[in-house]
Amino acid sequence: MTDQRNTPSTPSPEDLSVLAGEYVLGTLPAAERQGVQQRLPGDKALQQAVAEWEARLLPLTQLAEPISPPAVLWARIDQSLRAASPQQTATPVAPPRAETKRKPSVRWWDHLGLWRALAGSGFAMAAVLAAVLVTRTAPVAAPPQFMVVLVAPHDKAPGWVVQASSPRQISLIPLGMAEVPADKALEFWTKADGWSGPVSLGLVQPGQPLQIPLDKLPPLQPNQLFELTLEPPTGSPIGKPTGPIQFIGRAVKVL
Amino acid sequence: MPDTPGDFDYEAALAACAAGDRQAMHRLYQQEGARLLGVALRIVRQRALAEDIVHDACVNIWTRAASYDPRRGSARGWIYSVVRNLALNAVRDAGRHVDVDDTTKQALEADMSVQAHHEVEETFALNASLGRLQHCLEALDPARRNCVLHAYVDGCSHGEIAERLGAPLGTVKAWIRRSLVSLRECMA
Repeated sequence: MTDQRNTPSTPSPEDLSVLAGEYVLGTLPAAERQGVQQRLPGDKALQQAVAEWEARLLPLTQLAEPISPPAVLWARIDQSLRAASPQQTATPVAPPRAETKRKPSVRWWDHLGLWRALAGSGFAMAAVLAAVLVTRTAPVAAPPQFMVVLVAPHDKAPGWVVQASSPRQISLIPLGMAEVPADKALEFWTKADGWSGPVSLGLVQPGQPLQIPLDKLPPLQPNQLFELTLEPPTGSPIGKPTGPIQFIGRAVKVL
Repeated sequence: MPDTPGDFDYEAALAACAAGDRQAMHRLYQQEGARLLGVALRIVRQRALAEDIVHDACVNIWTRAASYDPRRGSARGWIYSVVRNLALNAVRDAGRHVDVDDTTKQALEADMSVQAHHEVEETFALNASLGRLQHCLEALDPARRNCVLHAYVDGCSHGEIAERLGAPLGTVKAWIRRSLVSLRECMA
């Protein structure tokens, strides 16, 4: 059977079906697989053939044992869903509309590998790997110059990520819903080397992202400490952390 | 096309996702998450990567829900095609030199031992839940059937199937093509 990739003439229905079948099976080599994916949007016959194979073979998904995902996976997905609006189009080729500007560009914290690294490694290694991975992502507006992964002190479970696109502004992004007792609040602190003590960046709502200008502080430095502590509902009465550290991490400069 | 399993309304869930209802996406995930992770893991063979695939697939499903067209197939089928495409793209693009992590390797080996124990000739246990497909797969001779199953379920390339079955590459390619033709006829 001949290779149909570069043949503009109409392939026989059987060839088309075999090509679609191999595409759905997954046996096409990378280049041919990409070729099919590029053809699909404009090729109704191929779309139809692929859809038929997807329907025929769908029962085979039952042969893979289900595996319960860890709870953190949904937290991660939910976080990404909040950042990505559904595209309100009936067809994938409709022109973009004004309110869809927050389209689901993959952000650096969604990047494959980052969470693997966080879950499986010590924090320092995770931060280094994450920084390396950040540099490999598709270009996004204002890549972060610093990143911090805030982890729980006892089990190193990542709870928040700080990213700074400039040394003057940071974003605090929750990875899940931190549990805070009803009579307590989370307060966000930072301390760079050489400072006499931590400086409050304000109170933080569990599960809510937060943008914080650093206009009254010196620019961010590598290794600068960030932490979230448990404080009274109106914040620490003395301007210094008084309660237990819930999450802690240090800034890593992104290469 | 009626979707299984249970009474879960996959089409309604996608419509709600398209309307921005995150709860609908959560229900869909609760309904299918474990099966989706299982499907992804068999293909990519690394637990963390499989979880990444499920994450990306959910974001894809969420953002592209409005583009789902019921005329092109079932909603549940569409969801699985998103996951399988991402998983297959990941293993094909990576040149398929995947290091299987130890935990997954143990799980897969255990799985294979169980399969080997249950059936000497058959690599995959087929059962009635596969419906018409089961009948058509059983009509193929075992080697051809295993080609199809190793490809679809395990994400194997032609070369990997040849290795597993101890058959020449060209033979495997021909078996797969002929199996596809036979299956299409049988299921028509």
